[in-house]
Formats: sequence, C-alpha cells, structure tokens
Amino acid sequence: MLSTDLRANVLVVRVEEKRIDASKAPSFKDEMARCIDAGQNQIVLDLSQVDFIDSSGLGALVSCLKRLGPRGSLAVAGATGAVSRLFTLTRMDRVFALHPNVDSAVEQLSA
Amino acid sequence: MVSSISLSIDSDLDKVSLLARAVRALCEDLLSPEDQDAVELSLVEAINNVIKHGYHGERGKDVQVAVGLQADLVVIEVIDHAPPMPAQVLDKAPEDTFAFDETDLADIPEGGMGLALIRMNMDEVEYHSNEAENRLRMVKRIGSSASGG
Repeated sequence: MLSTDLRANVLVVRVEEKRIDASKAPSFKDEMARCIDAGQNQIVLDLSQVDFIDSSGLGALVSCLKRLGPRGSLAVAGATGAVSRLFTLTRMDRVFALHPNVDSAVEQLSA
Repeated sequence: MVSSISLSIDSDLDKVSLLARAVRALCEDLLSPEDQDAVELSLVEAINNVIKHGYHGERGKDVQVAVGLQADLVVIEVIDHAPPMPAQVLDKAPEDTFAFDETDLADIPEGGMGLALIRMNMDEVEYHSNEAENRLRMVKRIGSSASGG
C-alpha cells in the first residue's frame, strides 16, 4: 500500500490507498516499520491520495512516530478535507508537522 | 417526511468501508460535505468498536445499522449483540482523550479515540443496552455545523 522515493536524505512514503482504516492500519504499520527499521529517520508521509483516516489509522501514524523515537522526524504532506480536519480535531496537528505538499515537507526536513 | 433503511454486515473490518460509503451516499442530499465526513467517521468508529472490542475481532457476528432520514436530522443507530461497553468507557469525557502532552511521545494516544471522535462529530450520542441488544444512537442535525460535548 506504500511506495517510496528517496530524496536527498529524506524518504518520501506515498500511501497508495484511499483509506487508512482499521482493516488497513496493521499493514500500513508493518510497511512503515520496515522503512524505519532499515534506518530511515527523516520521513515524509504523502497523504495526497488518502481521503479517509479513522482513529485506527491515526493510531498507526502515532505508533510510527514512537518507533522513530526522538532521533527521527515524521512530516505529513498533502492532507486535505476530512483527513486534515481529523488532525486538527484530535490535536495531532501539534504532533505531526503538516505540509501542503511533498516539496515543502522535504525542504523543511533536509534543511 | 421520514424514511428509514436498515443495513447489516458481518463483523469483518474489511466490510466496514462498504457500509460507511453506502450510508454517506444516503446522506448526500441532506448534509454538507463536512457533515457527511462527520457521519461517515462516526459510523466507522462505532462499527470498529463493536467488531474489535464487542466481538473481539471474531467474524460471523451481526452488525446492524439503521438510518433514519428526517426533515431536520439524520439518525444513525448501530445495533449489536456483543457484551455491552463498560460504563467507565462511556463516562470518559471526550476532551480528556486529546488533552495529551504533545512534547511527550509516550503520552500521545495510539488507541481509545473512537468514542471521543463520535461525540465530537455528532450532535447527540446515546447508548442503550438490554438483554437482547446494544444500541448506539447518533444524531446529526441538518444545517448545524456545531459539534462537541
């Protein structure tokens, strides 16, 4: 469900599903864990293809953040509509740096 | 004008999105896109809770959803035959769930957010339980964008 692209030292992970819900959250978490365990610690998560995230999906994002630990960064790019509102409603917009697009997120992380 | 429809799925997380999209489509003419998002998310959270916590992930159990469309409100009921939700879950204030310390990784929640999200997204939420069934009743008023409480 993920495709990846390494830009400078930043791994851009694009979610190729429209929904990250309770049925998809476990495989999302597993695929992200593989990226993190392979040593990537500057990650941009591209959510531009995603139009729905539930609390299980959001919990999976938080678990990635915890797996990265304080040494890493996980930025979110391209969240719109219901997805972007979910971050605000749950105050997770304070936890994840939200960027309008991948370019600005990569720029921020590689600076 | 009142119309109502009942839908049901097997207790399988893979089937939740199908039902949620069907209910969203039913509300399309009545609710703004933001309110459709609120209803879809609340319904998904309610059904996920039933499947994950009520039926402990076991498939082959029944999850029913009744949708009532009225002139001024949309009523969604999720009916199950699992053990009821414990009182301490229901008593927790939704705002407490998201009052975490964002500077402390360990304090950021990975779960337990579903019911809080339902309460923040719907105008009324009631839970009734008897020997026959559990019934979560959620109401979205048409034209109200207010939420919380």
